Amino acid sequence: MPDWKQPVRDRLRRLNLSPAREADIVEELAGDLEERYRDLLAGAVPAAQAERLVLEELETGDALADRLRHTRQPAAREPMPMGSTRKGNLMESLWHDAKVAFRMMRLRPAFSLAVAGMLAIGVAGNAAIFSIFNGLFLRPLPFASPARLVDLDETAPKWNLERVSISNPDYDAWQKSNKTFDGMAFFSTGNGANLTTGDGGTERIKLAEVTQSLLTVLGLKPLIGRDIRSEEDRPGGDRVILLGYNLWQRLFGGDRAVVGRAIQLSGRHYTVIGVLPREAMLPPDVDAWTPLAADVANGNSFYLSGVGRLRLGVSMEQARADLLRVHRNQPWNSGHVTSPIVGPLRDRYLGDFKIVTRILLGTVAVVLLIACVNIAGLMLVRGESRSREIAIRTAVGASRGRVARQLLTESFAMAAAGGILGVALGKLFLMGLVSLMPDDLPKWVRFDLDTRFVLFCIAVTGLAALLFGLAPVLQAATVDTRNWLQEAARSTLARGKRATLGALVVGEIALALVLLASSGLLLQAFRKVMTQDPGFRPDNVLTFSLRLPPAKYPKNEQTLAFYTSVLDRLRTLPGAASVSAASIVPLDGHTGYFFVAEGGKQFGAADPSPVVLHVTAMPGYLKTMGMTLQAGREFEDRDNLPAAPKVVIVNQTFARHFWGYADVVGKRVRYQGKDNHDWFQVVGVVRDIRHAGLDREVRPQVFVPYSVAPAGLTFAIRGGPGVHGLVGPAREEIHRLDPDLPLYNIRTMSERLARSLWIRRAYSWLFAAFAAVAVLLAAAGVYGVISFAVGQRTREIGIRMALGARPGQVMRGILGQGMLLVASGVAIGLIAFYFAAGLLQSMLFGVSPRDAATYGAVVLGVALVGLAANYIPARRAATIEPMRALRSE
Amino acid sequence: MLNPSIDRDLKKGSAELLILSLLEGQARHGYEISKLIETRSAGAVRFRVASLYPLLYRLEDRGYLQGRWVEKAGQRRKRYYRLTPEGHKVLEERRSGWAIFVEAIRQITGTEHA
Repeated sequence: MPDWKQPVRDRLRRLNLSPAREADIVEELAGDLEERYRDLLAGAVPAAQAERLVLEELETGDALADRLRHTRQPAAREPMPMGSTRKGNLMESLWHDAKVAFRMMRLRPAFSLAVAGMLAIGVAGNAAIFSIFNGLFLRPLPFASPARLVDLDETAPKWNLERVSISNPDYDAWQKSNKTFDGMAFFSTGNGANLTTGDGGTERIKLAEVTQSLLTVLGLKPLIGRDIRSEEDRPGGDRVILLGYNLWQRLFGGDRAVVGRAIQLSGRHYTVIGVLPREAMLPPDVDAWTPLAADVANGNSFYLSGVGRLRLGVSMEQARADLLRVHRNQPWNSGHVTSPIVGPLRDRYLGDFKIVTRILLGTVAVVLLIACVNIAGLMLVRGESRSREIAIRTAVGASRGRVARQLLTESFAMAAAGGILGVALGKLFLMGLVSLMPDDLPKWVRFDLDTRFVLFCIAVTGLAALLFGLAPVLQAATVDTRNWLQEAARSTLARGKRATLGALVVGEIALALVLLASSGLLLQAFRKVMTQDPGFRPDNVLTFSLRLPPAKYPKNEQTLAFYTSVLDRLRTLPGAASVSAASIVPLDGHTGYFFVAEGGKQFGAADPSPVVLHVTAMPGYLKTMGMTLQAGREFEDRDNLPAAPKVVIVNQTFARHFWGYADVVGKRVRYQGKDNHDWFQVVGVVRDIRHAGLDREVRPQVFVPYSVAPAGLTFAIRGGPGVHGLVGPAREEIHRLDPDLPLYNIRTMSERLARSLWIRRAYSWLFAAFAAVAVLLAAAGVYGVISFAVGQRTREIGIRMALGARPGQVMRGILGQGMLLVASGVAIGLIAFYFAAGLLQSMLFGVSPRDAATYGAVVLGVALVGLAANYIPARRAATIEPMRALRSE
Repeated sequence: MLNPSIDRDLKKGSAELLILSLLEGQARHGYEISKLIETRSAGAVRFRVASLYPLLYRLEDRGYLQGRWVEKAGQRRKRYYRLTPEGHKVLEERRSGWAIFVEAIRQITGTEHA
């Protein structure tokens, strides 16, 4: 008798079974083989042939051990190596699922394209908006432990000013007496300088005057050279300069021997002591740092920004309380007008974007949700045809888990396709958005791809796949194998499914309505802003700035004479209809002073809105800017004569604010303060100018002649449509007077206006675009569901028409059913929007969030789109031929 | 339509169905099962030892079958398999599923009748 146990054992060896288990299997299989052998012998098969036949029983296409491996786990005596068979089996099975999934996609290209396309639209919006959010708010600032850096400022609610900047004595007191900061630094960015370059030319650079501690607070070290010393940060200290990385590269080609060299700024010599590291971009967009060298006893002006490094473990609230204590203890702050601001550093530079980007993120999330709901609906509809396949697969032995995995794999495969397409689209979309952004964002804001972005896209796509992939899985779980062939069960199933689909459609219509209504309000607000009267005529006005270095032009008479001759020369330019200049043109900054009006209301330092916008204007400025005189006259050359009577021009808001009425020509004002005794006569009242932007409030404003408040000037040339072409000729004329003066800040007033509105314009149109996409997606959903319902009811409709129903009746029935869904969605959406609209309040520029016209238009729009989406399937239903419908079943 | 998955499930599933059916009435040992399949199908379906036992173990692992060593006088001991309650339920399901499948195939391949 042959030994059957050994061949069995040989084949099991690789499995590493436990000895007991192995013995069991060997005994059972050997027993079987022996019995076969006996039966063969009994059947008169020769012994040798019988043995061969029996041993063949152990041979299969794949070895016995491999078959057993699938069923019997070996005792885990040794850790399984990576990529071992068990895992390999799962991977193989997943790979199999994936292959099937891609094959299914290829088999139904239209369906797969619809799913991937809709998902791509949803993902693209998310990818682009998230990139922006990520770049603005999530990327760490390029400083050491940036979470501990805070923005410092002062606020003066009583002056109706959110930020007033910090005064010298305040910063000194904060710095010396706080208990919650590792360090503080302060800087002024108001100044630029005319830099004489190597080739003898000049260019305007932006300078920050900083306290000696700035690099330490930011946790940075000079790239080369040294930091500012404390003796240099005192009045009368040496003139030294730290070059910014870019300026160093541009000017010195990255020459490391630059330390110790002298450079000329506005006619003064500065010694280069070092180069800032590339990351030192605070304040943003400055080219170089010089010591602030402030006289801390001089407290008249608020002009500093600050940055502080919190001590480890100190919260912003604790720091705020600490600074408030220090601040209030200073005798000059007894009036409690100003108080310290301690806030996130990023918000100072990007605060404008915060609400907008969050709302946009919410919007794209809603669009994606609608896309997912649509896809889920599509999948449910397609599930109808797949339930047959699923029933068969369950019948022949596939477990429910197995089927669910296959369905989910298919969803994920389509999601992957949609996600990749979406990210690619999103990247294009982002490039478009970034190109629309102005160039004055802080330099540390970057929108390129990073890990966070990749993770976000994978998470969003995966989540979407789960959302819409669950629909067919849940549906598969309800496929009843036994009753599948029975008509009754199938129609019940379809009825339940129609209800689910209906709910999905109502949901997406509601969401789309919320977006559309929000976008309607934002566009209303945008239109309202655009139709505001700016108070000046921005078209065809070229502006540029000039600063005269005090070293070369120390006396006011010199600067006045120079500026006057510049104006004279510019007036000779062909195409220049009118030329003048002012210290600040609209949309280009703010200087505030306090004023007292004779016989008018007295505003103390603690009263609201006493800060007056203060502009130095040259003769003819109002005319050049297209501002409107309500009463009185413009400045003339005689107002700048040494013995001229002191005069001012005020705006309507100033007149109403101080005197309560507008007719104030002849009245007198003076600067507040005990040393200011001179009265100025009002010679003109100008119509209000929206100086800070079309969507900002108008503040009291005073224009003074140059001789009253000499300042660097921004020139304005009103010309024809090609006014920008006057830059070159203007520069030539000015360089004939002084070849060392750079023109900078060169923009037309239309450009300034457009830039001031770019955020509002961008989010208004983005919102509108997303809302339009949402409505179209929702319409596609309505269309799909009603088409499905019509397809399901073909037979029923056929019978009804055979019994005499007219096509019109059938069509009305279908339309009614569809419009019921639309109406429900609209109703729910309206209720949701009624409560959500408050979120938009701050962006609405006075348009009511309950604006009836907007509501009406939006409801009408959604209803019309819904009607259109319903009409096509309803029309198809009405043209059903009864006989064909009945025969097709 | 038959996609590759169905094909795979089908091979596996039909074999399982055969085994479960044979054990419905009584407990049997492996060789007996294999002989029954062969004789009842008139030799059309055959399981080799290398295919049969892995399948039995798998069904046992899933809790559809329970195997037990039984010693009878004068014989070597044999392992007998019988259906568990879970196995009965699965058999019931598989059976009706199979009927559907056969019906579906018939509808597709069968001759049309008016």
